[in-house]
Amino acid sequence: MAYNVLMVDDSGSMRKVLLKTLRLSGFEIGQCLEASNGREALAMLEGEWIDLILSDVHMPEMDGIEFLRILRQKELFSNTPVVFVTTEANEERLKLLMELGASGYIRKPFRPEEIGALLNRIMGAPDGFPAARSSEGSDF
Amino acid sequence: MVFLRQGVLKEVISEVFETMYFTDVDFEEREGEGEGVFEYGSETRLEHSEGCIVLRMRIGEKFAKMITANFLGIDEARADEVKEDDLVDSLRELANMVAGGCHAHAPGSDWKLGIPRAWRGGAEEDNSARRVCGLGFTFSGEPAGSAALEYLSG
Repeated sequence: MAYNVLMVDDSGSMRKVLLKTLRLSGFEIGQCLEASNGREALAMLEGEWIDLILSDVHMPEMDGIEFLRILRQKELFSNTPVVFVTTEANEERLKLLMELGASGYIRKPFRPEEIGALLNRIMGAPDGFPAARSSEGSDF
Repeated sequence: MVFLRQGVLKEVISEVFETMYFTDVDFEEREGEGEGVFEYGSETRLEHSEGCIVLRMRIGEKFAKMITANFLGIDEARADEVKEDDLVDSLRELANMVAGGCHAHAPGSDWKLGIPRAWRGGAEEDNSARRVCGLGFTFSGEPAGSAALEYLSG
């Protein structure tokens, strides 16, 4: 199954790294949309069907917390899995993300297998890809 | 700033380089050795109601190209083909992750991580800043960059 994914991060290079990580984790990507902050992401979502959102927290214009808060008010996206990939270390802010409906978070720096394992738990293991597989030794 | 010592900075920088840039660096004994000769700069702030800590990094061009290639999964042999925008963006993310690692050592919940920036060019100095700690690092025996934490009172 191919997933439509939205990547929200003000770093273009981090979006590339995340996309590569998803592919290495065995996820087949259909449409991949990219936004550099929450405001751009919300505008982009109009009229789109997205299966998974990966988002940063610290972004200019609209951060990840505000983005999630607004997203969850939209009926179409009230249950869309949103995973935060962030440098945020403040436990209270991470707790707030979960309370607002985040599906999970991963702290940067991350190992590719951490993202793969979390997404396997949230989305189910991709076809033909064992959930416990480690990407250690991959050419990532 | 008891939570931010040179040991913490070393530990965080090592983790970020190893995990995201697939690179091991060695640290120099003298603080900030080599500073001023590196082509790129990056900076992130850890803000608090009573002031802020600024992480300033300087990175040499050759090393910057190599780690950006590693970060993006480009063959290291083609590191010279790394685009300038990608390189600057990768150094922004480097400062972001190192500052984030320092943030994890900060006590209390009042610290907030700022938006990072990076640039090509000389170091930017703030005379009101007080040095907390700093260090230089090398790759394959050659100076590769430096990092410093400075305190700015509110």
